Amino acid sequence: MESRVLKPILAVYVALFILFLYGPFFILTILSFQQGPEGGPQFPIIEWSTYWYRHIFGLTEASRVAPLPVGQAMTRSLILAFMTMVTSTVLGVMSAQAFRKKFKGSDIVFYLIVLGMITPGLLTGLGVALVSKNIFNVDRHWWSTAFVSHVVYTFPFAFLVMLAILNRFDASVEEASWSLGVSPMRTFRKVTFPLIFPGVLSSMLFAFTLSYDEFSRTLLSSNEQTLPLAIYGTFAVEIHPNIFAFGVLTTLFSFSLLAVYAILMGLSVRRAKKIAIQEEIG
Amino acid sequence: MTAEAHIFRLDAVSKRYGVTVALDNINLSVERNEYVSLLGPSGSGKTVLLRTIAGFETPDEGRIEINGRDVSSLPAHERGIGFVFQNFALFPHLSVADNIGFGLANRNDPLPHDEIVDRVSDIIKLVGLEGLGARGVGQISGGQKQRVALARTLVTEPKLILLDEPLGALDANLRGRMRNELRAIRERLGVTFLHVTGSETEALAMGDRVIVLDRGHIAQFDHPDHVYSKPATPNVAKFLNRYNMFDGSISGSAFKSEYGDLAFIQKTKSDHPAYAVRYDRVAVDSDGSAGKGPSLPANFIASEYLGSSIMYFFEAIGGKVIEVEHHLSHGAPKTFEPKKSYRLRWKPEDAIVFG
Amino acid sequence: MAVPAKTSSTTAWWLIAPGVIWMTLFLVIPILMIVYVSFWTQTTFKIESTLTLASWQQFFASDTYITSLFTTVRIWLIVLIATLVIGYPTALYVGLFVKNKTLSTILLVICVIPFWTSFLIRVLAWRPMLGKEGAINIILQKFGIISAPIEALLFTELSVIIGMTQIYCVFMVGPIAFMLGRIDPNIIEASRDLGAGFWRIFRKIIFPLSLPGVVVGAIFVSVMVLGEFATASALSGRKVNLLGNIIVTQVGSLKWALASVVGVILTIVMGIVVALFLRIVDLRREL
Repeated sequence: MESRVLKPILAVYVALFILFLYGPFFILTILSFQQGPEGGPQFPIIEWSTYWYRHIFGLTEASRVAPLPVGQAMTRSLILAFMTMVTSTVLGVMSAQAFRKKFKGSDIVFYLIVLGMITPGLLTGLGVALVSKNIFNVDRHWWSTAFVSHVVYTFPFAFLVMLAILNRFDASVEEASWSLGVSPMRTFRKVTFPLIFPGVLSSMLFAFTLSYDEFSRTLLSSNEQTLPLAIYGTFAVEIHPNIFAFGVLTTLFSFSLLAVYAILMGLSVRRAKKIAIQEEIG
Repeated sequence: MTAEAHIFRLDAVSKRYGVTVALDNINLSVERNEYVSLLGPSGSGKTVLLRTIAGFETPDEGRIEINGRDVSSLPAHERGIGFVFQNFALFPHLSVADNIGFGLANRNDPLPHDEIVDRVSDIIKLVGLEGLGARGVGQISGGQKQRVALARTLVTEPKLILLDEPLGALDANLRGRMRNELRAIRERLGVTFLHVTGSETEALAMGDRVIVLDRGHIAQFDHPDHVYSKPATPNVAKFLNRYNMFDGSISGSAFKSEYGDLAFIQKTKSDHPAYAVRYDRVAVDSDGSAGKGPSLPANFIASEYLGSSIMYFFEAIGGKVIEVEHHLSHGAPKTFEPKKSYRLRWKPEDAIVFG
Repeated sequence: MAVPAKTSSTTAWWLIAPGVIWMTLFLVIPILMIVYVSFWTQTTFKIESTLTLASWQQFFASDTYITSLFTTVRIWLIVLIATLVIGYPTALYVGLFVKNKTLSTILLVICVIPFWTSFLIRVLAWRPMLGKEGAINIILQKFGIISAPIEALLFTELSVIIGMTQIYCVFMVGPIAFMLGRIDPNIIEASRDLGAGFWRIFRKIIFPLSLPGVVVGAIFVSVMVLGEFATASALSGRKVNLLGNIIVTQVGSLKWALASVVGVILTIVMGIVVALFLRIVDLRREL
């Protein structure tokens, strides 16, 4: 009886919760259509316009508001996220594969890897900066020091995703392959990998998005700006609606990335079914 | 190749998991071109034994020889054996034909493509999967999956095929048909099958010889009729599920049990005394007196019709259920009155006594 | 089960070695380095490896730094409680009350979607929300609840807390909803049959069973909030200085030794917090 009352109350609560999650971004989207260049980052909307979107791409006349310094930073971020994605997925698959059998010291190794995702970015960044500066005496770059500290962060995620996938993996198909005279290496390539591919895609997605949005590690471990650092830089000075417009655009970009992932995922599931269906008809 | 008489041999093979002994000093050799069933209750170590021969598990001690070659330290893919799994373990991302051709195409010395196609289509005919080659393995029935699993192994032409409860995942009807097919295919190809099963009927029906495994050691390895009529230990008699077993002790020429002294003629040496008499060797007498020979009183409970025979269930002192099998070829079924007391008799020479 | 036992241990080590080397080289050594450098000698623009306690003394002698330590702990506690209080009912609904698996997955996805917007943009989005001419003030004035805009909403500790709570509460919802989803509905049904009211069932069954989820969520939230600096610098107008902000400022002015001291203190605080949470629940057994 009580739950009959409680359930609708909770449902309303969850709706409010979602409003709380989405509200600020909703407001930000509205304000990104503020009139420019005089309109500020607040209400009221003087006049609806796409001025700030055009401003990002340098399509407006020069004004007192400088264009966002994002071009180069974005290229760096994309390359860095790609490098991080590949490296941490390879490391994640290898480590999770090792964890399928209990080995000596597996507990310690597990915690060592997980430590990477629970250590605050600032500490990783600071530590990597100190080591590179005082032990190796090398400069800090987005493709070197920032890259390794990104992988420290994303590798544990890839590892855990792969571990979950391999936990549910039926090892007898691998044994079947060995018993047919196929070596363990080739068995991995021809049997294991195709079967864990959805997990590989997920850990790639994880690693890419985490790295693309990472900034506390990058802040201390890179001399050059990546995209999040460029955005962080605008905090110091006065903000304009162009940063809002930029936020909307990057979100759309993330969603298209997510869509690509969903399509790839759907394809890999559907491929097997399709053959079967054609056979059924023919 | 030398004409080695044995297809495989195990020398003093042992395997432990922590404190549990899975295999206890196994010595075993199996001849070429033979169908061997490996029977044991769950936990007897039969699957571990099979996996150890295949190379999926490493024994703690002992030597394994396949085809006259010591394979103890060889990984599974270099042992040249076939393995059929209970859950079939087909490659879910490949078609039926690709599953079957997988070994030929991916082993260290792959065959040319044309030859693979030929061999695969031959074996598809042999196991009766014509027209299904392009299907995904998710789109075929359980019996067809079983055939794919078998064909995939047969096509690589191993001399020894290990089957881990291969019929366990099939329904009863299909199981019967697959039994005959397995035997026929094996005879045609002249390979050795080592077939693990938990079902005593399957083991006795299929094996040219039967290995009975009991808590990690071999209790008996003999022809099925010998295993059936002369179980080597009380446990073997128990697994066969064809014997009424009585506890007690031997004193002189009688077996003392809670049903009185039971007479017998021969006895088999064993650490655990037991008195066994086969279901179909027990006769039912409506005369309640003791009379001559071993007998005991029991109340009729129920009967069960099995087609070629009928099972009668009686309850003796202390609630012990005694089963009596009556073959219908030996006469029409009898009717007994429930809860009425009868006398169950058998000949002393039919008793198998351990002690 | 994989390759035969003799070779499997070696194979496992070859597979795991690159990951272990990576984490040792780029995580363990850097953290040890922070501890080491915190005892180095700081000159105006350089640090030297002569050991000294000077930076530690500087930290504990300064009111600003001690205050920031307390601010960090205070904000962490408030945000932790806020995320739990706000997140738990949502988790309760998603994990326990929604019987339909598809619907609960959809709700969880809705909670996760904002993470595909840049973290910094999400923080920034609170400015037009909380500002003097922001959405909240406009709405409150429209409804006549207030006559003059509330200025305390933005560029205060409150705005930092609101921002952090919104960004991190999903990390609390996820693990709790997961644990609640694993509760066997028969247990709740049975206790209801025995006449227990919802509140009693909640206290005796639901909450204890969800505790591992609460602990995991609390660890997530704590680790992230304690290492925070961006939300504070974006929403407090430099009024709130967390330990993280101090590290960033000190590195900016090349005071590596002092930054390291703050780093060590942050590590210690986090170590204590995580250890305390792990004492509540034996996670390895529960998960």
